[in-house]
Amino acid sequence: MKLCEFVRPESLAQARASLRKLGPKGLPLAGGTALHFMPGKAPVTAVDLTGLKLSYIRQKGAFFEIGAATPLSDIQRYRGARWAMHEICRRISTHQIRNVSTIGGNVCRVFPWADLPVVLLAMNAKMVIYSGKMKEMGADEYFSSQPARLFRGGDLLAAVKIPVLKAHHGFGSVKAARNAAAFSMVTIAALLELKDGRIAAARVAAGSAIPFPKRLPSVEAALAGKEPSAEVFRAAAALAGNDAKWCKQEGMSADYIANLAEVSIVDALERAAQFASGRTK
Amino acid sequence: MKRHELAKHLKQVNTSVTKIDAMQLALGKDSYVADFLPKDALVIKMLWSPHAHARIKKLDVSRAEKMPGVKCVLWHGNVPRIVHCTAGQGYPEPSPYDTFMFDNKVRFVGDRVAAVAAETEEQALEALEAIKVEYEVLKPVFTLAEAMAPGAPVIHDEPEAHVPIPITYEPKKNLVAHVACEAGSFKKGMAEADFTFDQTYETPYAQHCPIEPYTSMAQMTPAGRILITTSTQVPFHCRRIVARTLGIPVQKIRVVKPRIGGGFGCKQEILLEDVTAMMALRTGRPCLWRFNREETFRTGRTRHPFHIRLRTGVKKDGTITAIALECINNTGAYGGHGLTVVSCSGGKTLPLYHCDNILFDGKSYYTNLPVGGAYRGFGATQAFFAIESLMDHMAEAIGMDPLKFRQINHIRPGEGSPIFQALGEGREGLPMTVGSNALGECITQGAEAAGWEKRQDWRKKTGRYRRGIGMCCLMQGSSIPDIDMGAATIKINEDGSFNLNVGATDLGTGSDTVLAQIAAEELETTTDKMIVYSSDTDMTPFDVGAYASSTTYLSGEAVRKAAADAKRQILATGAEMLGLKAEDVHCEDAHVLSADGSKKVSYSDIANYSLYQKNQYQIIGTASHITKKSPPPFAAHFAEVEVDTLTGFVKVLNYVSTIDCGTAVNPTLCEGQTEGGTLNGISYALTEEYLFDETGKMQNASFADYHIYSMRDRPNIKAILVPSYEDTGPFGAKSVSEICINGPAPAIGNAIYNATGVRLNEFPFTPEKVLAAIKAVKR
Amino acid sequence: MKTHTCSVSFSINGEKKTFATRPDEKLLDLLRREGYKGTKYGCGQGTCGACTVIMDGRAVYACLLYAMQAEGRKVRTIESMGTYDKPAAIQVELVAAGAVQCGYCIPGIIMSATALMETEKDITDEVAKEYMDGNLCRCTGYEKIWVALRRTIDRAAAAPAQEASVKRGKK
Repeated sequence: MKLCEFVRPESLAQARASLRKLGPKGLPLAGGTALHFMPGKAPVTAVDLTGLKLSYIRQKGAFFEIGAATPLSDIQRYRGARWAMHEICRRISTHQIRNVSTIGGNVCRVFPWADLPVVLLAMNAKMVIYSGKMKEMGADEYFSSQPARLFRGGDLLAAVKIPVLKAHHGFGSVKAARNAAAFSMVTIAALLELKDGRIAAARVAAGSAIPFPKRLPSVEAALAGKEPSAEVFRAAAALAGNDAKWCKQEGMSADYIANLAEVSIVDALERAAQFASGRTK
Repeated sequence: MKRHELAKHLKQVNTSVTKIDAMQLALGKDSYVADFLPKDALVIKMLWSPHAHARIKKLDVSRAEKMPGVKCVLWHGNVPRIVHCTAGQGYPEPSPYDTFMFDNKVRFVGDRVAAVAAETEEQALEALEAIKVEYEVLKPVFTLAEAMAPGAPVIHDEPEAHVPIPITYEPKKNLVAHVACEAGSFKKGMAEADFTFDQTYETPYAQHCPIEPYTSMAQMTPAGRILITTSTQVPFHCRRIVARTLGIPVQKIRVVKPRIGGGFGCKQEILLEDVTAMMALRTGRPCLWRFNREETFRTGRTRHPFHIRLRTGVKKDGTITAIALECINNTGAYGGHGLTVVSCSGGKTLPLYHCDNILFDGKSYYTNLPVGGAYRGFGATQAFFAIESLMDHMAEAIGMDPLKFRQINHIRPGEGSPIFQALGEGREGLPMTVGSNALGECITQGAEAAGWEKRQDWRKKTGRYRRGIGMCCLMQGSSIPDIDMGAATIKINEDGSFNLNVGATDLGTGSDTVLAQIAAEELETTTDKMIVYSSDTDMTPFDVGAYASSTTYLSGEAVRKAAADAKRQILATGAEMLGLKAEDVHCEDAHVLSADGSKKVSYSDIANYSLYQKNQYQIIGTASHITKKSPPPFAAHFAEVEVDTLTGFVKVLNYVSTIDCGTAVNPTLCEGQTEGGTLNGISYALTEEYLFDETGKMQNASFADYHIYSMRDRPNIKAILVPSYEDTGPFGAKSVSEICINGPAPAIGNAIYNATGVRLNEFPFTPEKVLAAIKAVKR
Repeated sequence: MKTHTCSVSFSINGEKKTFATRPDEKLLDLLRREGYKGTKYGCGQGTCGACTVIMDGRAVYACLLYAMQAEGRKVRTIESMGTYDKPAAIQVELVAAGAVQCGYCIPGIIMSATALMETEKDITDEVAKEYMDGNLCRCTGYEKIWVALRRTIDRAAAAPAQEASVKRGKK
């Protein structure tokens, strides 16, 4: 696409009004780092969202609220109680990209290699959408397909709410990539809720080697009620093929990627179990 | 004094003088081609072939020519059809003439179709879209097997294709070059062996990835000449080849090389300058052509992929009785460097180990894939992967420590090899014995730094993550003997400073600094007195350019000789001023002194005297140099890796790069060369590769998808300079820049074996390949 | 829809300026056109770091940002970092360590290193590498760059302590 005009609204309401008016010719612009992946010459008007005071992280009760225009580097540097989001953010692209690319940009248009949707699915995050008023939507519904469908009328993502993890929660994420800044080959995130030494509930999500990030219900079901152990994790991970059809990546076969995904699931679960036992690094 | 201590008395050489252009570059001053862009410059953009192999049936540029801002469109219908070679080599080139500025045939995805010069980049891009092309798509050739098959599509069927020197070239068979030799009898050697081996190896494509992409600018001078300011390693070859391609005299062209943002071999190619020059000539306007990153990957030069068969025989006591190295090189769509890369794959490797029976056979074939060119290591990189992998394998078979196996077999000072003479570059080489050689010490020091003694057999290792240590030995050359020439002039100024003008090309390596140090050493002054100006075809003497590890050894000796010439004049004038005979004075600390030091006169006074006072003349020294030897630098590399046996991911933990480069003229710069080349080699071994789709189009033409290492990925690299003294080089120096890139693939491969017990004959060692090999062993 | 010409105002190296631009012009192109040519083009895709500038204290890729995104911000380029007479500490260390080979990546490296040192305290190796992972260098293997960076960081960290001890000594 081709930027032909540039507008700078000063409030969410103004931004929404602009985007409603522009329709498909309007382009909500935060960091803008992904535009490079959208070639073509369709003329658009950029609606700059960086002046809307949407760059913040604050704890509000049982949630951390992250403004949609918060750059990834801020999430990477933030520290809060049982905070786990920095683990994936430090693995996304390069420092200069993390300084500009926003959480909203990462989840409003989901690229196949995106890491954050995977984490937000596992975390059971809530997405705050502005449509004249604020409404919340769970990550499962939000990521059921490309979120663009939610923003056609000029509505905007205002914030993402991450549950504050409790002592019996464990979270782990794993990104397998060829080097530090490379796109993910497989990203896995897992949230375990432990009760009396058993897994009361599990949320396991995957991305990158599949067309769209998703949870892995067979893996989750196999974990429920079990005592966390390497064998249990391995047995659960072995079921991932029921939920996801892995694609070839970086010249490597789908079979290899399926193996990589299974190992990564086990690694993410082990990290989650360690997290629950108090190790947060 | 021990030989390796001969450099210790030197004052300017063997000292880490600050690189003379470092602060200029760190301050961000205008330095590179694009920094000198005039405001009124036109932008050039190229329409690239989407097909791997096709004939252009119709090409209509009439709409594009009328588009806003468009000043000129070039295509095969409106430029001279002059066959040439884009490889920046000596003349006549040992490479086929198989290229036209534009042709009616395209031979790889990324080949030239038509070029537009317009006021803005956007206008140029729009004009490209208005060019109508009708292609007759031809059957492409993507593999060596397809290229060699009887009845294969002929990639170069044009009648003009030929080689300018008598070497094998059979374009109808897609054969670009063939070179072979045998010393002793391979057959006899195999019969004498206790163990014999027969292995095949594959080495991949790679791109040099200079951070400054290919960039070239041309403009007409008021005198009606063409000034080409370009990012090149070979300004003089550039001038010659552009003159030929445009059909104009060399006299009409001036090529200037400003600072270069890295080359590593890829800028030893005349890839842009013919079009920028032609555009300037046609439009009368300054014209800039800069490849974007994608173009640099697709159309820029690459490292030739090799298919290698290596057969050897070895006795139980470690005597290597026979070696047969057969290399087939995929040169892509054009044949530049096709012969020389494959002959260096034997010539720069086989002399390393004692063996009486050596057979070499090297071939180079066209395919419809990206074009191979010069790349640091130049064939030795590919062959050393095979040789040094098999050395490990052979040591294992006879139950010998692979380090000891190399120690007992490697070439010693004073020894020769029939290979030196048998394999030259386009013609026979020169017979040669090795003078300086500290490889033994490289192995000892490297082993200690890498902790070789703690190395354990892979069978003793358990657990998911397994560590291993591997090593390899290497050699290269220093310049092309009897072919390469470098020249320098040096003149004195009133304050005792000197203008050092050299044809040699600093492409970021620091050669301007190194040459200044050599001049200062010879002249008994300090390096900061040197004003270096390099590579301007109007202003500096000739030099072949920066390739073949030649600058320090060859151009350095030219500089030393030119400085010695100037020094003779300084001594004569100084003696005249002191009222002494020239033979009774000497130079010291920028002065000419009487024998007892009681009378002296400074260089500044000598300059003023000679320029203004009496018997006036310009003190100016000049010299040219060719070499009769190509003394190899030697190296031993050690890699420690950790293999994730569940995913196949390999992480390099520590890497030790030792090198014997003779006298290190500037130790810090020598370390920098070694560290940089080593890291490039590490990512080549692990993460760099060209992925093609079924049409022959590269799928990963960006830094997002083609993985070179960042500071965050880099392992610990320890460079160790092991001194020796090469009598034929300036102050004992030989080359340093290329050899280091040859080590990581075999050293890491051997370390993976030591960690896991699997040998990989193909790299990059992708997680999938490593895991598949581990699984195969388990079975 | 036609591309409109427009203007953008921002502080560049401490000077407030207004530039004519277009909505689709990248900040890198504007800067180079306006003479800030120490900022280099290396990939145009936000992957190599040669174009790194500091915007409101953060290292960013000028080749990805639209010039219009700089409106009202503070942009710093390599031209503001030092002169021959008064180079910045990182420039001195890079030159001294032999970290400048071809030099094409170096302005970007300096901008990222500066952002690192101005943002973080008690800089660990891990944090330093995270700040530097967006600047590719193909010449040096990063060894000398790393030595220079670590030295600059450690000297800066030691400097206030030294000053303090000098002051104490005076008492």
